[in-house]
Amino acid sequence: MRERSRVLIKLLILAPYLAVLYILQSTLLTHLPIFGTTPMIMPLAVCGVALFLGRVDGGVTGLFAGMLMDLACNQATIHFTLVLTLTGLLVGILSDTVLVQGFPSYLLTAAAALAVCSASQVFALAVLRGAPIALLSGIAVRQTLSSLIFTFPFYYISRFLCRVM
Amino acid sequence: MKDLISKKGIYIAVAAVAVAIAAALSVALSGGHAGFAAMLSEPFFKPVKSAMTSLAGSLEHIYGYMYRYDELEEENASLRSRIAELEQEYREYTEISEENARLRSLLGFVERHEELKLEPVSVISWTASNFSSSFTISKGSSSGIELYDPIITEDGYLVGQVTSVTASSCTVTTVVDTTSRVGALIYETGETGVASGDFELFQDGTLRLSYIAELEDVLIGDTVVTSGSGGVFPSGLVIGKITGMSVGASGLDPYAIVEPSADIDDCAHLYVITDFAVSE
Repeated sequence: MRERSRVLIKLLILAPYLAVLYILQSTLLTHLPIFGTTPMIMPLAVCGVALFLGRVDGGVTGLFAGMLMDLACNQATIHFTLVLTLTGLLVGILSDTVLVQGFPSYLLTAAAALAVCSASQVFALAVLRGAPIALLSGIAVRQTLSSLIFTFPFYYISRFLCRVM
Repeated sequence: MKDLISKKGIYIAVAAVAVAIAAALSVALSGGHAGFAAMLSEPFFKPVKSAMTSLAGSLEHIYGYMYRYDELEEENASLRSRIAELEQEYREYTEISEENARLRSLLGFVERHEELKLEPVSVISWTASNFSSSFTISKGSSSGIELYDPIITEDGYLVGQVTSVTASSCTVTTVVDTTSRVGALIYETGETGVASGDFELFQDGTLRLSYIAELEDVLIGDTVVTSGSGGVFPSGLVIGKITGMSVGASGLDPYAIVEPSADIDDCAHLYVITDFAVSE
């Protein structure tokens, strides 16, 4: 009974959190490019939840965040759904085993997750459409850096929400 | 004692009368200039009088303010309300004016292209991806919009085409996206080619015009329009202007760089061409 109410509380907190992030990602951030690119905030949210709540919650959050990210990118593919689910699971496993729940760990995992997301986008375009990797790498690096700017606020938001849960 | 006081009083009264007469005489004899008494008293009284006048003025101001406070407050509220009304009217006027300009522009375009059936739409959101150029519009299949319908501005400049449809919204892929392909021709020379998005040009917001037979005839500033071949786009929609020439990585595929005429990054109100007469 107690476990069920905990799940319900998590759902009630994480669902609106992801909805707000999706709206921010697809509206505000697309109009405010940093280094000429739109930052990605969904991977930051997934890393935060996975770091503080572990592999299961990280994986589930990654699944839904990835679906919303695919929607925000106007793509029918399940690219981010896959990448962010795996990110959530992996960061959660690391958090359960070796990582300390602090800002350095969050920064490290967030940077890795953002780099993986950008690299996977470049890789998919290179493989499926023959895009020149060197040309897209510049965009990928700027995208990663512009997203990293948001790690500090997202660390505290994630920590606060996960403590409430 | 009583007599003394009364005598003193009489002396004082007489002295006062004498001083008054002397003062009056001095004024009368001075021909309008300040008299002796005034000249004597002025240096002493002037600062005091000034101070008192100033004090009186302030008191009068405060009194007037207190007396008229309610009236002023009412007037202030009324003026604030009027300012708000005028600001609202100005905003409405600006919006109507902008809409009017758009519709006038569209009217001119529609008069020239009566064969087009247009559906006005608004841009809801842009893609969050940095590797593609697409956006979502406010209407979908319930408004008669179909897959691959072209999207234009009120001036008739091509923006892109519908690549995904739901009942109430659509995804539009712009002409600069790397998946975009449009049959095109150069308006000045009649040379045909394919205008397509390119990974190299995508970040600059330009596209390439490839497969032109006589590239040496092409001049910078030439207008690129849709050719209408294939039946997906109506002919004559302006895509953009040629801004330069380049050669692909292989060195064997020269192409022209085209800057879109539509301000793609800043479009908000657009029109979907839901039907048009196909020109063969």
